[in-house]
Amino acid sequence: MPGVRLEGIVKAYGALRVVHGIDLEVNEKEFVVLVGPSGCGKSTTLRMIAGLEEITEGDLAIDGRHMNRIAPKDRDVAMVFQNYALYPHLNVAGNIAFGLRIRGESKAAIAAAVDEVSGILGLKDYLQRRPAELSGGQRQRVAMGRAIVRRPKVFLFDEPLSNLDAKLRTQMRAEIRRLHNRLGVTSIYVTHDQVEAMTLADRIVVMNNGHIEQTGAPMELFLNPVNTFVAGFLGSPPMNMVKARLAAGAAAPVAEFGGQTLPLAPLEALRDSVGREVILGIRPEFVSVAGEGAEHRVTVDLDLVETLGSEALLHTRLDEEPFVIRTGTVGNAEGLHDVTGFTVAPEMIRVFDAETGTAFPGQVHVS
Amino acid sequence: MISNPEFQGGTTEELVIEASEAVRRRKPGRMVRVGDHLRREWQLYLMLLPTIVWLLLFLYKPMYGLQIAFKDYSIFRGIEASPWVGFEHFRTLFDNDQFLRAVKNTIIISAYGLLFGFPVPIVLSLMFNEVLNRWFKKSAQTIVYLPHFISSVIIAGIVITALSPSAGIVNTVLGWFGIDAVYFLTKPEWFRPIFIGTGIWQEAGFQSIVYLAAIAGVSPTLYESAVVDGASRWQMMWKITLPCILPTIIIMLIIRIGNILEVSFEMVILLYQPATYETADVVNTFIYRQGIQDGQYDMAAAAGLFNAVVAFVLVISANTLSKRFSRTSLW
Repeated sequence: MPGVRLEGIVKAYGALRVVHGIDLEVNEKEFVVLVGPSGCGKSTTLRMIAGLEEITEGDLAIDGRHMNRIAPKDRDVAMVFQNYALYPHLNVAGNIAFGLRIRGESKAAIAAAVDEVSGILGLKDYLQRRPAELSGGQRQRVAMGRAIVRRPKVFLFDEPLSNLDAKLRTQMRAEIRRLHNRLGVTSIYVTHDQVEAMTLADRIVVMNNGHIEQTGAPMELFLNPVNTFVAGFLGSPPMNMVKARLAAGAAAPVAEFGGQTLPLAPLEALRDSVGREVILGIRPEFVSVAGEGAEHRVTVDLDLVETLGSEALLHTRLDEEPFVIRTGTVGNAEGLHDVTGFTVAPEMIRVFDAETGTAFPGQVHVS
Repeated sequence: MISNPEFQGGTTEELVIEASEAVRRRKPGRMVRVGDHLRREWQLYLMLLPTIVWLLLFLYKPMYGLQIAFKDYSIFRGIEASPWVGFEHFRTLFDNDQFLRAVKNTIIISAYGLLFGFPVPIVLSLMFNEVLNRWFKKSAQTIVYLPHFISSVIIAGIVITALSPSAGIVNTVLGWFGIDAVYFLTKPEWFRPIFIGTGIWQEAGFQSIVYLAAIAGVSPTLYESAVVDGASRWQMMWKITLPCILPTIIIMLIIRIGNILEVSFEMVILLYQPATYETADVVNTFIYRQGIQDGQYDMAAAAGLFNAVVAFVLVISANTLSKRFSRTSLW
């Protein structure tokens, strides 16, 4: 029985539809991340699950129970908000205990629960402090404590880390995942940060314009994006997109662009589409810097080298379009400024139809 | 590698200390910074100027005249030439039964006003916040704000008419129940309720705007979070709205305490009569009668100064207590 099931969920404000029929099943104990650009409907979907937004059409079930008309308090969900939503007049203990007090739990039960949760989150030394006296990370922990203490069936996270600095975000990300592993509560997490999605999720749901573009395990989406939107959204730096035309090759089809060619995987769908305009999706990580004379080498004009430590990003131009190469720097740092070309294995090139943006069938990359 | 000769220290800690001291040394003086700010934001200061001039002319310059509270003032001799009499006027005031009665009445009326009048705008704002029908909310707000914009003379006229023993609506309604007409405005025991009730009617709506603004500043996610936690609207009002606007309530309370001796002078003058002096005569009306009607300006100035000193002490005390117990203060 799924933890949360959404069937044809629609949200409309008057004539304006912002979520267009979402179908999603979140399994019990699963950590699902809804990711997408601002305005794609991910937060609205989460708020509909919480009961903070009315569902215009479709069915929502939590733990098998139909929830469309059930009040938020009776859905047995807990939510962590982007701005923490801590009560400024209550100390940490008061904030964590708020939900239990509202539900009329006994003082002894509340004290025990607060003690346990503050221990889990490392907040025991801060119980008497008010939110204004806490750091961003501590506030985030309190917000999570308030959600955990109620032991709900589902955790809902609405961009909980977006107010933190980069270092703290990485730290809190790991803490959230550890917490999920420990508590095993079904979790739905909304973010626009694809790194958060990749690192936290058991399953990622990529949303765009109120639709689900693709659902799958992080590496599945990274390696096999179904369209150019998912391909461009996941990965940092994003996948390179090269406009090309399919042509017949000796053993397999080839892609022609700007007077150069690249051999592609020998797939039926590509062979049948010779002559069509396509987009080649090439991840910066999947290309190898290659000197002159290398087989199937593509030449590029080097624009800028960004050294990140153990690796570097080479910003180049391919057929006047930007093309990024990610490469190692160890023993190679000096030569990076002389890069003029690369090679890429045919099976690591994702081919999309230029007209529809969807991937040609039959391309399955396994990590 | 740090090449700046200012940094001579060895360890990182020493370097940090030296760097911060160097920054402090380079920080321009307060006057320079104020000058820079004046030059940069001169348009804002220009807009502030009329208010500063007004404050200087009408609130600070008159302070020069306060010295007549310690002089045997004569309008013919002027402030400078009038002889000093020390605390003579204060002694006379505290020997004057009418003044002591006025102080007592002022404190009682203010205390009742604080007790009954102060919570009303808070309750009104909480109620407005709970109203979901926008049309009803706007209509109700307009109706309760309206008396504030009506002249005190008209308000007093309405009260006097409503309480008239012959044709007033109150006595008419009492008459329906067989109760004899009550001469409300000539009975000392009725003055305080009438005065405080009139004040609440006139100002509570307008004063609620401050609290409504404070409520508007409460983050909506606090309510959303509480909804998910299972809070009812009543619980949200008590456990979120009210505590979140508490700093504003405290600030307003401090200001109100500072003005505790400033009972609405015009309204008392308009509603009282010799028959009700016993409960209605307040320090301001006493000052008015002494200073303007009897021409004892020095005595009136002493009473006014007493009023100001008490208000000053009260506002300092309220602010200190508030800072200590609620972490909220005016300054």
